[in-house]
Amino acid sequence: MKKLILVFSLWFTCMTVSAAQDLATQAESFYRAGQYAQALSAYEQELKKHPNSPYLYYNIGNCYFKMGSKGLAAANYFRAFKLRPQDSDIRHNLSLALAGGGEPLVPAGMPVALHKAFFILPIAELKGLVCALGWLVCILLGLWLLTRRGGKLTIVLGVLLLTCSAWLYMRHSWETQPLAVVAAPLAEVRSGPGPNFPTSASVQQGHLVEVLDSKDNWQQIIVRSQGLKGWVENTALERI
Amino acid sequence: MKRILLLLTLCITATALWAQVQLSATADKTDLALDDELTLTVQVSGVSGTMVMPQLPSLPAFNVYSREAAQTTVNGKTTLLFKYTMMPRFVGSTSIGPVTFKYGGKIYQTSPIAVRIYRNTPPTTAKQNAASSRSSATVSASAQAANDVAKLPPLERELATRAYAHTNEPYFIVAAVSNKTPYINEPFILAVRFYYSKAFYDAPYQNPTVSNLFMEEAGEAQGQQTIHNTIYRYEEKRYRLSGVSAGDASIGAASVSFRPGSSPLSVFDRFFGGAAVEPEQTVSSKPMKLAIRPLPTAGKPTSFYGAVGTGYAFSAKLDREQTEAGDAVTWSATVQGPGNLKTTADLTFPTVDAASSYPAAPQAGYLPNTQNRSYKIFKTELVPTSSGTYTLPALQWSYFDPLTHTYKTLTSRPLTLTVTPSTRTEKQVNFTGTDTTGLGIQTFGQDIRYVLPAEDLPPSALSRLPAWKGLHALVFLWLAGCLFTACFGKRVSARKQAFHTAKAQLKKVTTYENISDALAAYLLAKFQISTASLPLKDITAALARRQVPTTQVETFAALWKELESARFAPLQGQTNTLSHLTARAEELLGQLEGSK
Repeated sequence: MKKLILVFSLWFTCMTVSAAQDLATQAESFYRAGQYAQALSAYEQELKKHPNSPYLYYNIGNCYFKMGSKGLAAANYFRAFKLRPQDSDIRHNLSLALAGGGEPLVPAGMPVALHKAFFILPIAELKGLVCALGWLVCILLGLWLLTRRGGKLTIVLGVLLLTCSAWLYMRHSWETQPLAVVAAPLAEVRSGPGPNFPTSASVQQGHLVEVLDSKDNWQQIIVRSQGLKGWVENTALERI
Repeated sequence: MKRILLLLTLCITATALWAQVQLSATADKTDLALDDELTLTVQVSGVSGTMVMPQLPSLPAFNVYSREAAQTTVNGKTTLLFKYTMMPRFVGSTSIGPVTFKYGGKIYQTSPIAVRIYRNTPPTTAKQNAASSRSSATVSASAQAANDVAKLPPLERELATRAYAHTNEPYFIVAAVSNKTPYINEPFILAVRFYYSKAFYDAPYQNPTVSNLFMEEAGEAQGQQTIHNTIYRYEEKRYRLSGVSAGDASIGAASVSFRPGSSPLSVFDRFFGGAAVEPEQTVSSKPMKLAIRPLPTAGKPTSFYGAVGTGYAFSAKLDREQTEAGDAVTWSATVQGPGNLKTTADLTFPTVDAASSYPAAPQAGYLPNTQNRSYKIFKTELVPTSSGTYTLPALQWSYFDPLTHTYKTLTSRPLTLTVTPSTRTEKQVNFTGTDTTGLGIQTFGQDIRYVLPAEDLPPSALSRLPAWKGLHALVFLWLAGCLFTACFGKRVSARKQAFHTAKAQLKKVTTYENISDALAAYLLAKFQISTASLPLKDITAALARRQVPTTQVETFAALWKELESARFAPLQGQTNTLSHLTARAEELLGQLEGSK
């Protein structure tokens, strides 16, 4: 009986892996054939199983991009970027999608190398780094307290810990920003949360905006670079 | 012999007389554009002997730049063919005058050929007429009937009347304006006519100078007028004028410098006995003074942009009535009327809610086939930012009517614009053109990178560290322990060791000072009382504060005094006293240690 269960378990595992590979292969085949809607559907099914896969978000973004939805493409690239910011392909495609909306990935005046360095680690690894440094500093500090030896190394590591903590704080602030991407071809920005308020501006598809508040089906957004603030319908935005 | 010679002479003379000389002149076209060329063919047949050149008429409207000649002789009869290629100089109706040919003491002339010169391509009908007339050998030379001056329009009548004032002058110029007291910016016409009854050539024309007036050319014309039984031809030039500011304005003299007589065909003709070159003459028109009237300020509407005249038309339109949000729509307003609308100010379009407005430069010009009517088109690009149905307000445009001396306002109809939500999508690929990197690589554009295998990425060891919460606690415990040890451990152990240390010191004493030092070290380690800087009174008070029993404090005070006395005033039998005091010190330490 035990043998039977073992064999069944092995078979089930093999079948599951094979089905997953089939779906990914199918999605790529659709993509290669230019059937982006089918590829998107397959990748979205995969995403349900692996919700934290940066490359699934990346591939979904590619499908949206090819289908002409730059806003949704940018949103998915952004999700992938958050999970794996050091990946050059993700960075490239996100830059391209945001450039369509007139929003550069690297803020104006910031060197690209610095931006890349800032995003060289995913936030989970950055937390791990800060953690490890914290431990090391604690151990060395304890030793120094007892023996009054290794003070210089402790100071150096302490400074490094502080720097990494500030880096982590900034990354965390960036990651928890309530961002959204304009998904509609043109989002009408109104002065209040409703169609009875006049339109004060319009924001092009793919533009990155910050969400401040929400009421019913309307979200208050701000485009800090332009000083533009107003209300946009939920359907026109894709939250990241 | 004489008879034979006489007969021969008579025969030749008779032959010459009987020969029917035929002269004809044809033009390959009678309707042509300003940049066309016209070929005038003059054929002389029935002559014999050496070639004789025909004499061309004065051709002020043409520049003759090519001449060809051919001669054929059949049975002693010679046919001469002359071809003149010429380009027109002015727009209007003109004529190629009679070509004169002198032969055998007789003068032969062709009929004048009427030619119409257009600014651009002649109309089709004109071309057809030209085609039919091309086959015609000669053009009717019937003289035009004398103009009935009284029936002429005012400006033409004025010119004709002024022309009548000239008698026995083969060349003169007259000028007249259609309005001598115009308002500011009111359009009027200046006409200048150069009358001539005799041929001339090399006639450069000098435009009149003006002050306080805006002037531009309005075309040319040719005509004919009988003055005192003399047929004059004239070249007319017209100008559109308008006053710049209120006050006096003047029009200077227009002049023509010319040489009377027929134009020599070429340098060779002049050299080989052609027409003698006449001295140059100049004729000028009389200068004129005008008074420009100011426009009334009373009742001037805000929509008045400076147009003065009558018969203006104003309308507004959209290039399409339905569009998408984000797409541009052209909202234009057109005004047509007399005079030069270029000099008027630009129309200001009202702002439209939910649409950005980008005004464009207006277009202005004169309407074709009209003498003095112009148009001006004002445009603005509207870019609706949101969907909906919008009503564009009616536009107003005012002008001053010089006939009624009042301002009048024209209003266009309101327009409706339907804006649907935008469906525009961006291009998928941003091609930036061909760029050479200089490294043998050419980039043609940018596209997104290909899909990646969606494999699960195992979390790195670094990212798993924060999850080791037990290790966090362990490290913090370690740090706390170290900190505690560093802060309190040494002090506690020193306190515990104080008694033993002091006892050990007492066993090794050799002087009174050693006993004092042992006691002082004990007090410092045990009670944190430094005896170095305190008098005895303060030391005992400190011991009392630390709950040391009074008897022990008194014992300590007595011992400390004895030790100080022994140190600074040694007694006899020092060794016994030293051991005694050491024993007392040990006893005191035991009591102090026991009390704590």
